[in-house]
Amino acid sequence: MREVYVAGIGITSFSRLEYPLVEIAAYPALMALRDAGIKKVDQVYVANMGSGRINGQTGLASAVVDHLSLTPAAAETIENGPASGASAIKQGYMAIASGMYNTVMVIGAERMREVNPLEATDFVATLTHPLAEYIYGITLPSLAGMFARMYMDKYGVTSRHLAMVAVKNHKNALDNFYAHLHEDITIEGILDSPEASTNNPFVADPLRFYDVCPVSDGGACIILTTAENMKKLNKPMIKLAGIGQATDTHCVHERNDPTDLLAVREAARQSFAMAKIKPENVDVAELHDAFTILEIAESEEVGFFKKGEGHKALEKGLTKIGGKLPINPSGGLKAKGHPVGATGVGQAHEIVLQLRGGAAKRQVKNAKIGFTCNFGGFGNNVVCLTFIKEN
Amino acid sequence: MELNIYAYKCKRCGQLHYPYKTICKKCGDNDHNEFDIVALPKNGKLLTYTILYNPPSDFEVAALCLGIVELEGGMRITGQLDIKNPKTGMKVAGKVEVVRIDGYNKHLGMVFYQE
Amino acid sequence: MTVDLEKILRPIETPLIKFPAKYMTLANGQEMVIRQVEREDIPDILPHIEPLIHCERDFYNVVAARLYAELLAYYSYRVQDEYVLIAQIDGELAAIVNGRIVSPEIGMSYHTFSLRRGLRVGAHAFATKMEYHMDILKQKEVLIVAESGIGFRRWMIEYKLEKRFDIPHELGGCPSWSLTKELFERARATLVVGRRPVPEHLMAKAKAGILAPSDPPKAPEDLLAATRSMLDSTGTSLIEMKKKLGAK
Repeated sequence: MREVYVAGIGITSFSRLEYPLVEIAAYPALMALRDAGIKKVDQVYVANMGSGRINGQTGLASAVVDHLSLTPAAAETIENGPASGASAIKQGYMAIASGMYNTVMVIGAERMREVNPLEATDFVATLTHPLAEYIYGITLPSLAGMFARMYMDKYGVTSRHLAMVAVKNHKNALDNFYAHLHEDITIEGILDSPEASTNNPFVADPLRFYDVCPVSDGGACIILTTAENMKKLNKPMIKLAGIGQATDTHCVHERNDPTDLLAVREAARQSFAMAKIKPENVDVAELHDAFTILEIAESEEVGFFKKGEGHKALEKGLTKIGGKLPINPSGGLKAKGHPVGATGVGQAHEIVLQLRGGAAKRQVKNAKIGFTCNFGGFGNNVVCLTFIKEN
Repeated sequence: MELNIYAYKCKRCGQLHYPYKTICKKCGDNDHNEFDIVALPKNGKLLTYTILYNPPSDFEVAALCLGIVELEGGMRITGQLDIKNPKTGMKVAGKVEVVRIDGYNKHLGMVFYQE
Repeated sequence: MTVDLEKILRPIETPLIKFPAKYMTLANGQEMVIRQVEREDIPDILPHIEPLIHCERDFYNVVAARLYAELLAYYSYRVQDEYVLIAQIDGELAAIVNGRIVSPEIGMSYHTFSLRRGLRVGAHAFATKMEYHMDILKQKEVLIVAESGIGFRRWMIEYKLEKRFDIPHELGGCPSWSLTKELFERARATLVVGRRPVPEHLMAKAKAGILAPSDPPKAPEDLLAATRSMLDSTGTSLIEMKKKLGAK
């Protein structure tokens, strides 16, 4: 199999974007083409979850490839729930590794703010089990709430730990121009003051407003190519070194221990094994913190910390920028934003930026190995990527 | 008539499934995807719950209490809770009722009450 | 004769109980003071609203223009029984809410205007306005309309207002909704917050001057981050469109 490298990256703000979905996909692609210094690609993958339902547009990839005047390049839309982004990157990898194509553009794009937040939440909820979950009014926040309650009881995680994740990620996002939320929240303001319960009301008890990611629009793009092509481009050699993907039961209640995220564990294991590294070698990670509890749980499941000790690492500040293993320097889904289909590509964008040393104020020093965890469904389809900077 | 929610029991290995699957998760035998239907028990203990303060817009309530219940015999089910102060580990008893109305469709599901 | 005419034009004012100032901690740990302002304060507030008349985002332009006019009318004695409350963070103007007393029992909410985005500043200011009508003035209901989606969602989701489509609202346009005493009581625990009295240093800072917001809402400039108002189907982009066409 051929090795695969990142030639170019691009991103839009993750916030509310008032232009058509096709353009949300096209702008980051334009940035990535400029970044890579190329004009043509062989294949375009567009990761998106909701265009058919939310934006009333199907066949998104065909529209995007034409918008970019990249025809007759091959084009497909990839839908894998909130893990669509990393899934599309995986498809890009396979297309190049197999020798079928040389240069592949992977775009993630989503426009959820075209509908109101309740409709957006209901749309995401359609990925739960239609007969055994969705009919009860189950949404992703409610699954996260039930998960959080069990997890907190079992491992001694408290609301304060969850708030610490939010505060950390909001702080990181202050230095990220493209982040959705630029709010410098404090523990006092969201947990301790007499007004905290109004500033930070319950959304899905025990999860509160600041434990849940915003509903965002946004697009991101990453262009992948072969080692041979990289020689012509004069770009840092960032290799897509490891990919892992695993699935779990559709219904959360069917899992032997619902506090285990087995798909995260397995996807991370595969990704590290393929990259021939260990979790402790990772310098910077972007984990899927759609809910603050997930950053803690995933940091354990991927192997950064022992099960039940993620919150202790958080307390010690190990996951801050400047700590031993900075997690979500971009602000994460919590503060950078969560345009569902685009999120996985957005995570990869941040890691590539970090490995290139281009993340300015939020730069993790000497980052050589980066890792992303893109979490689909409520942990029923997870894709983990490992990027390595070569000298 | 008492309404039930059914689990699917593999005719070969006896593994119970809820919800239904096409192929048994235990024996994985694809020559033999036959199941007996078995009514799920209705009593159990509350494994976890949440109070959802912004339920989907077709629910005309301010908050919706949802939970996962471990039924007698060990099968688990997600359902709605009609319980004022839920607590994990509490004993609950379920009834099959209308849980969601979507246009002309009425969806039946399990609603749990304090036992 | 002019003096007599002014007497006719100037509405008779009902003496109203003043809103007792309060303060609260925001999600970012900063403290926000909400207090009532008088006519003589209005000239200090208007310059901070004016720039937002040109901000084409989330109906800031519409609300800023209307609020500017309402405050000017209040300043010039042209509205009966209007009141204005402001929220300040470190002296900076964070939000303005205003309204009017229609009868002893019925209040009319005018505008809720946040000059500081996020942190639920607008929600706190709106809740305070309702607190003034219900708790301080002991009214029975407040009539409300929304001009922006943000406002509509806020009270639809947070207060679940009753329809009063038979009663026209003074702001025109959309039908009226009503916050009744009963709905207010239901929302009180989660929405109405704040502590009294305001510590002296906070009040002194607030009264020392109504400062311009350091980070006021702006229409995003970066094309990638941006709203492309030329394509804005809501028709709020007239100013931007004219600029692009080169008209003055």
